[in-house]
Parts: sequence; structure tokens; C-alpha cells
Amino acid sequence: MSTSWAIEASEVTKVFGSIHALDGLSFTVKPGEVYGLIGPNGAGKTTALRIVSTLLLPTSGSVKVFGLDVVQKAAEVRKIISYLPEDAGAYRYLSGWEYLEFMAKFNAQNREEACAMVREAAEISGLGDRLKDKTKAYSKGMKRRLLVARALMLKPKLAILDEPTSGLDVIHSYHVREIIKRYVREHGVTVLLSSHNMLEVEHLCDRVALINKGKLVAEGAPRELKEKFGCTNLEEVFAKVVKIA
Amino acid sequence: MLKGFGNFLLKELKELARDPKILLGMIVVPLIMFPVLGGIMGYAVQTAQEQAIKASLIVVDNDCGNWSSVFIGFLKGLNVTVYVENNTKLDNEKVLELLSRYNTTQILEIPEGFSQNVTVHFSNSNVKASLRFYGVLRGTGVFESVGSSVVDALINQFNRAVAPDILYSEKATVIKGEIKYGVDPATISGLLMSQSIALPITILILLMYAVQIAATSVAMEKEEKTLETLLTLPMDRLAILWGKLSSSIIVAAVGAIAYMAGYSYVLGSAMAGIPVGLNLDLAALGLTPSVFGYLLLGLTLFVTMLSALALAVIMSAFAEDVRSAQSFVSYIYPLIFLPSIALIYLDINTLPFALRLVFYAIPFSHPVIASKAVIMGDYWTVVFGIVYVSAFTLVVMYAASKFFATEKILTAKLKFKGLKRREAKPTEEI
Repeated sequence: MSTSWAIEASEVTKVFGSIHALDGLSFTVKPGEVYGLIGPNGAGKTTALRIVSTLLLPTSGSVKVFGLDVVQKAAEVRKIISYLPEDAGAYRYLSGWEYLEFMAKFNAQNREEACAMVREAAEISGLGDRLKDKTKAYSKGMKRRLLVARALMLKPKLAILDEPTSGLDVIHSYHVREIIKRYVREHGVTVLLSSHNMLEVEHLCDRVALINKGKLVAEGAPRELKEKFGCTNLEEVFAKVVKIA
Repeated sequence: MLKGFGNFLLKELKELARDPKILLGMIVVPLIMFPVLGGIMGYAVQTAQEQAIKASLIVVDNDCGNWSSVFIGFLKGLNVTVYVENNTKLDNEKVLELLSRYNTTQILEIPEGFSQNVTVHFSNSNVKASLRFYGVLRGTGVFESVGSSVVDALINQFNRAVAPDILYSEKATVIKGEIKYGVDPATISGLLMSQSIALPITILILLMYAVQIAATSVAMEKEEKTLETLLTLPMDRLAILWGKLSSSIIVAAVGAIAYMAGYSYVLGSAMAGIPVGLNLDLAALGLTPSVFGYLLLGLTLFVTMLSALALAVIMSAFAEDVRSAQSFVSYIYPLIFLPSIALIYLDINTLPFALRLVFYAIPFSHPVIASKAVIMGDYWTVVFGIVYVSAFTLVVMYAASKFFATEKILTAKLKFKGLKRREAKPTEEI
């Protein structure tokens, strides 16, 4: 069993009826790396993240997280990951604080650890006293900050973040990106994220994979990719690669 | 008027009218359910009357005089099947033996001195001739008292033909093999009715509360987009299923208690109107459930509730939002409504075998069947119900647990175009 990779996806396919969402996708992520999946709508980014996070089963191929197969050892995988879906919500009738407590109790070994996690999340989210309010009263930005804080407070070995700054304004996006960067630096968390925001990808990711129609079409560090395709930014690389593909 | 209100209202109406789930749940189901209910009630009345008319009647003639012969001849003239027994002293054993021998439920005794009293009546109208009616209380259907009232009608017809008020009847009821003198089967049926309505309606409300809550709670997770996160947490997925079921039971029970409190107040007010003289003690007559009976009843209710909740949870898991979930579970309602209401009007033991099987096959019939069976001390029926509903629940729970353990909980959707179930093409980003 090889545990040298944080994620090892090999020839993964996923078929929904007549749609091939993933078509032989392979990639590897090193521990402590921030790895980004980028691609147009319908490229298969979310499906890939859902398979890594044990929500969906691959039709064929295999995915291992720190050496654990996501199908055979799903329960073990869930102990070391934290998944933030793109349009995730919080429970409307719980306060932000109660929501964090509820989530922390699944991972914490004891009450003290859970309390420490919640305090950590309170700091990450920067929501202050608003954590006492019910989440139904939160703006989209506040809710997203709460959810990002929830995903990171667990100090997972692997954080899977689907569009972490989805729907956030510039200030909130900046805040969330800084949180992620700080966490990776301080706690050595591995991050697998997907994003449409090329600036975000360039800013956050050590390496990116461009996927189109369920296939990996280019992979490398943002700077490498820009050089390889003779572009000034990732957006141009993205457009060029997708067009070529 | 609010700007854009009319436009928005029109859009809402169009959406509702074009939603096949709403159409089925709100219009088609009631259109089918109420005629069926009407049919059941009509059938219940008809069969009760037919049974009463067709029922044979044992006439014990201890008078053997002219007028007793005239009376028996009169009954035969009305096409009533009459078995005549002469000079038979009726006691507990003899009554049961006669009922068993002739396989009937009614005995009319013509006591000694009957003819003499009739003859005297023509000169002194204060003297009346009495008859004694023994009716067997078998079940607790609404029309159980029909037998007693038909005998009253026969006596009235004789009175109209001969002389007003010449005959009257004293009633006795055979309950669980014992004769209770001075107790009219119709009065007992009336009192049991108040119980046999209260319980099915309470069960009906309880089940509907529970089903609604269970369905909504799962759909809410999907609608609020919290389910995905939940499914990636290090927790047993069955814990989600059981958590939903348990919370639904608790909330439904609280709702049911509130409902029962209100209902018992209404029932108490209604019972207050019963004359004191008729205030029969059902417990003294052995017509209230024993502690064991209550335990069985509670167990029946629990397993039935579990089966309804599991069914609701699994159905709502196919829904994308709360509204769809509520529409889905509305298909369970007829299965809850029909047995509860039908069994208020019907005694299951008097139904044809095929119809009886249909009622037994519906798990939600069993609390109502059990509520009546425990009163009559018929514990085997209740035990059978518990075993059957438990087996049904286990099958549904097994399916639900399998369902929760796979990705189908996230991807399965029920499409109403041709009622084809398919795995969803995820509507969001793939």
C-alpha cells in the first residue's frame, strides 16, 4: 500500500445514464499540496470531488486518499477528509455556533476537543457575535465563511473544497483565500479544490489540472502552464487548452 | 395592489396546475378515495342489514299457548328463519348451547304466561306481554346493533298488526360467552363506538403527523443542501436514517398527545350528554382492554408507526425538495385513511375473506384492528398483526438502510414522466 500520495486517482470513469461525467481521469496530489481542478461547466470537476469525498462511486478506476481506497475504506477516508460542497447550506434553525458544535462533535474525541474546534472556527470565520444568530439570518457571504470555517476547523488531512469562494464578493473571497493559505501553511493540510476563478487558482494552487469532458487535458504548476502555452495568465491557458481539446 | 403580484400569482397557479404530483395528490387521489369510502360505507350498511334480515332467530317458546303460536307464525310470515324450541329453561349454558347448535346470534324467549298477558291486554291495556331478547356482541362495528334493532322492528310490526304496545322486549347481551341481563347490545355498541372512533382517528392523525415530519426532514436536507456534507462525515449512515425516524416519532407523539387532549375534551363533552341511567361500566362488563392488551396495542402502534416512517423516509429520499416530498408521501395517505375510517364502520370479522385479506395486507390497518381485537380479548389477531407489520417494517427498513448506504440517496430521483425512476443526471455542475 503506497501512502506517498495524498490522492491517487487512476483511470476514473463515472457514467450517469448516457452521460460520461468522467472518462479515464488520472491525477496525483502530494501531501501538503494545494491542487486545483479547473475546467468549463460540465467538465466533471464536481463529480471528481464527490468521488474523492466518498459521495459517489466510480464506475471504474480507483481513487486512494492517503493509501485508503475511497470505495473499500470509505468510513476510514471520511475520518481524514473534510468536504465543502459548492452550494452547501447550513441548518436554518441552528445558530452558527450550534452548527459548528454539531459538526465538531463528529470528529472530536471529547468535549474539550470539540470546544477547541468551535473556537478555532469562530476565529476563522470572523463572524464574531453573529455566530449567535440563526443561520437563516446570514447573508450568502456569511454562510460561506461559516462553512469554510467548518471544513477547516477539523484540521483534516485532506480538505476538498468545491468552489470555496463561490458567490462571494471580492473582500469575502480574499478573506476566505487567506484562511485557506494560512491553514495549509500552519497545519500542513492537503487541499483539493475546484474553481472557475483563475485568479484564485493562480493565487492558491501549487499545481492545477485542466479537465475537459471528463478527461485531464493539461497539468502542472500555474507558472509552468503559462510558459508551456505561451500565455500571460491562467485564463488564457484555460481558453487555449479547452479550445484545443 | 402590490406591483407584479398578479403576474407572480399567475405563474404560481400555472406551476401548480402543471405539476403532475400536485394533480395526482390533491385531485386524483381524493377523487378516487372518497367514492371508495362511500362504497365501503354503503356496503357496510347493506351487509349489516342483509345479515340481520337473513339471520336466523331461535324462538324459545316456554308459553306454548295460542298467542305464542300466532307470534311465531307472524315471524315466519315475515320470511324470518325461525328455529323453535319448546319449554326450554334458559340459563347461561343453555343459551350458549342453543346459539352454537343453530349457529346464530339471536334468541327470542317467549316466557310462560305470554298468551295469558296478551289476552288480558285486550280488557286491560296496562297489562303487556314481555319477550326476552338475547343478542351476542361479536365485534365493535358501527352496525353491530342492527340485529337488536331488527328484532325491535319485528315486535313493532306485530304490535301494529295486533294492538299498540301489546308486546315489549327485555334485552340481554352475551359478551364473551356470558349473559349480561338488562344490557341492550345496541347501548353497548354505542358506547364502544365512541371508543372505536376515538382510537382510529387518533391513530390516523398520529401516523399522518409522523409521515409528514419524516418526509419533510429528509427533503429539507436536500433542499437546504446539507445532505452532501452530512454524508461525508465520519458517522454511520444508518444513524441518519434512525435519527430521522426517531425525531419524527418524538415530534409526532408530542403532536398526538396535544391532539388526544383536545379530542378527549370533545369526547368528554359528548359523553356528558348520556343519561345517568345508561351509564354502563364497560370495565365491569369486561369490555376494556387488559394491561396485556394495552401492551400489545402499544406494540402494534409502534411497529406500524415505524413502518410508515421508514416508507416516508425512503419515498422522500427520491424527492428534490420539500414540496415534492410532501406530494410523494401523499400517496401513502389513502392507505392510512381508508382502513382507519372503513374499520370504524365495519367489523373486519364480518367481511368476505378476500376483502379481509386486503385489510390485513395494509400495515396501517393493524392498529385499528388491534384496538378492537384487544377489547374482545382476541389477542391472536393482534399478535399476528404485530408479526406481519414487523416483517413489513424490517423489509422497508432493510431497503431504506441499503438505500442510505449507497450514492442513490444523493442521486436517485423519481420522475413523473411515465413514472420512470432513473438515476439523475445531476442538475448542478458535474
